[in-house]
Amino acid sequence: MEWSSTQHFWLIILCFFVAFGPRFIPLSFFRTRKIPLWFNEWMRYVPVSLFTALVCKDLFIDDNFNISVVGKAPELVAALLVIGIAYWTRSMAISVIAGLVVVFTLAVFI
Amino acid sequence: MATKKIGKLKTNDIPYWRLILDVSLPVDLSYIPIGLACGILLNASGFNTINTFLVSILVFSGGAQFMIASLLATSAPMYSIVIMMFFLELRYALLGSSLSKYLHGQSAWFTFFFACSMNDENYALNYLKFSTDKKFAPKDAIKVEHVTLLIWTISNVIGSLIGSAIHIDLTVVHFALTALFLYMIVVQLKNRLLLSISVLAGIVAVIFMAITKSTLGLVISTIIASLTGFAIEASLRKRRPKSRWLKTFKNPGGTPEEDIDE
Repeated sequence: MEWSSTQHFWLIILCFFVAFGPRFIPLSFFRTRKIPLWFNEWMRYVPVSLFTALVCKDLFIDDNFNISVVGKAPELVAALLVIGIAYWTRSMAISVIAGLVVVFTLAVFI
Repeated sequence: MATKKIGKLKTNDIPYWRLILDVSLPVDLSYIPIGLACGILLNASGFNTINTFLVSILVFSGGAQFMIASLLATSAPMYSIVIMMFFLELRYALLGSSLSKYLHGQSAWFTFFFACSMNDENYALNYLKFSTDKKFAPKDAIKVEHVTLLIWTISNVIGSLIGSAIHIDLTVVHFALTALFLYMIVVQLKNRLLLSISVLAGIVAVIFMAITKSTLGLVISTIIASLTGFAIEASLRKRRPKSRWLKTFKNPGGTPEEDIDE
């Protein structure tokens, strides 16, 4: 099925609402209320958990949502290097650019 | 890196926009290759440049836009893309809640615009600044968001324009986003418990994504892993407050000490 630009436009509008709701509602709700202590303690573990889940999706899950690392050798090697680079340099830009260079080089030569 | 520079800038009379640019620079730099890649992918899946511009401003999420591009390529129906989008964006509820303590007393309009342009990367920047710099105010944070939004949109539009002209290996380009998340994980692993929770989140995510065959696995894993971390920390603090699991790692990069809340 070929989509028209108008359909793309409506898709964007719908996506805006499902993206905006989760961003706005909790932010607005807790803005005027005191956030309970347990909530802040819980939130300390949310970003790490979420980001690890996203990275594992990219590295270990294929397009059909099966567990697979077939053809992911460049990404896996580059991921290990990025972890090392991020640990030692603490620089986001260096980590991302070095990761791209490594994954590109490996993809060409493997 | 940026934090150190800001420390120096404050004593000099460097213009305000330079200060904001300095805070957002790590994300701005990473957004150029990622945004170009995203624009190219969206173009390949049939989005015209105006729609690419709109989606960059209205949705403003690398992960979501990459997902739209790949789902359109597999000709998924509209409702399924919107449902997937909802689950992908649900995580912002958790991010938004964790930032809300810094937005006390702001107006409803401010919160509206703040929420509109919040995403993973500028959240990470702002959260780090809020927790390490007492002088960092919500109005600075929203400007950081807008600078990243501007760079992201420009990169997407340029990507869309050059999309048909240049052939680039798209799977390689997608790794920019993975590297960005890896960086964010590494800087947050401050003790043994956080490291274990990160590993747990990864394993649970992979298992549940394979079971649910959707990104719902990401939401399930985030909830299970974060609640586990919270429960273990609470019980350790009660019984063994000096546990090695909560001891802060030495940091080779020398990031500034965070304030201890509470």
